[in-house]
Amino acid sequence: MRQYGVEMARFTSAKMNKFRRKLSSLGGSTDKDAVVSKIELQNRRLSSISANGMDEEKLIVKGQLIKAASLEKLAMLCVDCFDDAGELQDNPFFPRMVFLMHKWFVPSEELAALFINLYQTRDKSICKSPCQHKPSDQNCRLNRFKTRVCYTVRSWISEFPMHFDLDPSLAREIRNLQELTCKDSANNHKLLVDISNLPSYDWMRAVSVRNSVKRSHKVSLVFDHLEPHELAEQITVLEYKIFRRISFSDFRNYAIHGKLQDNPRLERSIMLFNGLSLWVQCMVLSKSTPQYRAQVITKFVNVAKALRQLQNFNSLMAVVGGLSHSSIARLTKTASHLPPEINKALHEMTEMLSSNGNFANYRKQLSECKGFKIPILGVHLKDLIALHTALHDKVENGLLNIRKMAQLAVVFNELIQLQSTSPDIEANMDLINTLKVSLDLQYSEEEIYELSLAREPRESASAPPTPIPSEKPVFADWASGITPTLDSDTLKKHVHAMVEAVYKNYDHDRDGYISHQEFDSIAGNFPFIDSFGILDADHFARQLKTFDEVKHVDGMISKEEMKMYFIRANCHALSSGFRHDFVETTYFKPTYCEHCSGLLWGLIKQGWKCRDCAISCHKHCKELVVVECRPRGSVSSCPQSSNTSLLQDTDTSRATSADEQSSPRGTERRRQSSRLRHLTPVHQSTQTVKDSGISLMDSASSVNLNMEYNDDEVFVDEDVGSLRDRLRQSEEARAKLVSENQTLQTELASAHDRIKLLQSHIGQIRQHTVSFILDQMDILKMQRDTEV
Amino acid sequence: MIKMREYKVVVLGSGGVGKSALTVQFVTGQFMEKYDPTIEDFYRKEIEVDGAPSVLEILDTAGTEQFASMRDLYIKNGQGFLLVYSLTNYQTFQDIKPIRDQIIRVKGSEKVPLVLVGNKVDLESEREVPTSEGKALAQSWGVPFLETSAKSKHNVDDVFAEVVREMNFVQLPDQKDACCTCVIV
Repeated sequence: MRQYGVEMARFTSAKMNKFRRKLSSLGGSTDKDAVVSKIELQNRRLSSISANGMDEEKLIVKGQLIKAASLEKLAMLCVDCFDDAGELQDNPFFPRMVFLMHKWFVPSEELAALFINLYQTRDKSICKSPCQHKPSDQNCRLNRFKTRVCYTVRSWISEFPMHFDLDPSLAREIRNLQELTCKDSANNHKLLVDISNLPSYDWMRAVSVRNSVKRSHKVSLVFDHLEPHELAEQITVLEYKIFRRISFSDFRNYAIHGKLQDNPRLERSIMLFNGLSLWVQCMVLSKSTPQYRAQVITKFVNVAKALRQLQNFNSLMAVVGGLSHSSIARLTKTASHLPPEINKALHEMTEMLSSNGNFANYRKQLSECKGFKIPILGVHLKDLIALHTALHDKVENGLLNIRKMAQLAVVFNELIQLQSTSPDIEANMDLINTLKVSLDLQYSEEEIYELSLAREPRESASAPPTPIPSEKPVFADWASGITPTLDSDTLKKHVHAMVEAVYKNYDHDRDGYISHQEFDSIAGNFPFIDSFGILDADHFARQLKTFDEVKHVDGMISKEEMKMYFIRANCHALSSGFRHDFVETTYFKPTYCEHCSGLLWGLIKQGWKCRDCAISCHKHCKELVVVECRPRGSVSSCPQSSNTSLLQDTDTSRATSADEQSSPRGTERRRQSSRLRHLTPVHQSTQTVKDSGISLMDSASSVNLNMEYNDDEVFVDEDVGSLRDRLRQSEEARAKLVSENQTLQTELASAHDRIKLLQSHIGQIRQHTVSFILDQMDILKMQRDTEV
Repeated sequence: MIKMREYKVVVLGSGGVGKSALTVQFVTGQFMEKYDPTIEDFYRKEIEVDGAPSVLEILDTAGTEQFASMRDLYIKNGQGFLLVYSLTNYQTFQDIKPIRDQIIRVKGSEKVPLVLVGNKVDLESEREVPTSEGKALAQSWGVPFLETSAKSKHNVDDVFAEVVREMNFVQLPDQKDACCTCVIV
């Protein structure tokens, strides 16, 4: 029991410490005195709650002692906080809190209207003396009261100018107030409530980030050359620009409805967060060897360190979240190449951001940070939702819940301070534009994890049971609120900006073209899209032909072409000619992606095949394929591809019966057999050329047609020429059948091989099992013997 | 001498199923006066299950559903899981399966202590997920299933007690395994 007691004591003291720390953090722009007084007030309140009950009207001592109040009372209390000279008395935190938080409960113009009411008051109880209440009369108490009202409004304007710039109905109310002051011919009042010289908060209206100044100095845009601190700085600028746009009402709507619909600014910020995490994972997984992957991880750990120094906790969370994600954390071979100090640093940062103790470590560090800082959006959104769930907006007698207001204000102060500070970083718009496109990844967690498995497969011995992914796009569904697809206009804009940046930095001779080598290095910034670098003759020539620019197939890329490529690659095929009808397909031989030339990995459903033209590609490449869709049925200029597709079809049709092997030997066999198969169509076509010189254009599907013709009409037509024709056709058909026969035989052979392999595996497993059972029996026997 | 065991419980589920309401209801109980979700011990609560007192640290994931990489961290950190759906919204029930898949993937084991929770049983008239479906799903996973109402405080403490039992239960076979390997070696 003593231990229990000690535990409880520890809780209590920890609780007190946390409480104090939190109180000292809520200061924000208020000074220490306010914080102290708040602590005292809180303590006093806690001790006198039972005595006070809910009857707040009588016990008001200004400030936080109020549990609930009407809006009218609130406005009155604010005015009472100011003295005749406009200085804050007693509780400087209170008016700021009301100005910040009233929007949670009521529209701003309602509060403004109340101030107008107060200004117009003719309450004789304020100034009893036989007084004319002239504005010039400094001793008139009514006049002094009006001055205090104006000081209150001025304080609101200077604390939150954006309210007045962004809310037209609020601005209208304040102009009404100004007219009243004119009527009173009270010039000093008029000046106090003037809102004509407010800074513009236009930037808060827009969702996307506008490009500001263009820097002229050159920097590398290549990931491999970027310094971690440089990357961290520009990520911070991007984060800052997107985060600070999230308005009070965006936060409020999310906390109340929990949905991202119609909340584009918040959604954009979350997209950036997830995009950053994904990018980190993709950059790591895009490297083929553990050493390279470890290098990328090392780099990102250094980026994370720099982010911590910049006090950008949100991006830090995204990067660390990406690095410690299970798809990266499971790469044991990669981890073995990490230097110990990097491992240690990553561990420390994960600890710092851990959710343990209600994010205690993070909260502590955040409260110790001075100046520019970006809090972790998710953590504070969580706090908002928890507060909103637990506390009602109004207490039972219809009064506003001021306690809730005060506590929400603590969270909001953290979230909105970015609207009034800025980082001390020089923005490099070129790099930011490149980042923006890089971070706009469209992979699901499932895909990333599969890629991770492909990079470093599970060790079969200790393989944990895998959940068979029941339905396919699982995680995309879970985060259903987010649609990470940008509309084509936004995309075009981003791509335009990025391509401009690329040319500025890489087109060294300023002739408007960059070479393949240069392009390759830039493409490295885009994991998996780096196949742009292999814009080889095939893809590129076709693309260019469409636009009559064949002269540049010499490996030089012009600005327009690059833009076109990016836009086409990202937008879901602008013209219908590029739209393929992809279906998920299981391949039984190594097949390569049409887009990136990479292997379609996996056991089943490795890739997607177009129903019309039978090209195959990765799931993540299928949106990016730029090859035109040329249906097989039509006469095409590439018979080889249609022949191979026929073979693939026969493969796929047997998909249900065939068992696949995952062992390296199995893969090797399949690779061999596929090589044989690849040879077949070549062989067949040479034969055709030799025999008849007929054009290569006949596709495989026309063979059947020709054969029918032979069977039905062979005796009708007596003309020798046509007979010769028919002979030629039947010979050709024969040649095709022979080649098909060969193919089938090769397949049969490979299937036999597979069966053999499977049998040997079964044999091995049987052996293992038997020996294991024997071992167990031996052990049991030994145990029994020892017992005996 | 009573030894307090500490458990980390993560409350998962899609947005709007009442994760916060459930958590808040459990951790605050009668002490609504001291409500402050930003302090360290706010989500800690003692609970006595089958005569053994233990401390739960609860992680409410409400508001962070959309942050993909945070979810992975949460799961890594948690020991027991409440998978919550709203029985007035069939979609949230379907969302549960991928969440479990992710838990299993991150934990690398099928034997993760979890409890399936159908919340908002007070809104019986708006029910979209029949009790039988929830039960069937829980059965197929071999986990307990409860329908709760954070609003009317129905079954709230019970789900947390249940997840503690699950954590005790799932940990036991591990220890046995350890013993076995010792014998063999």
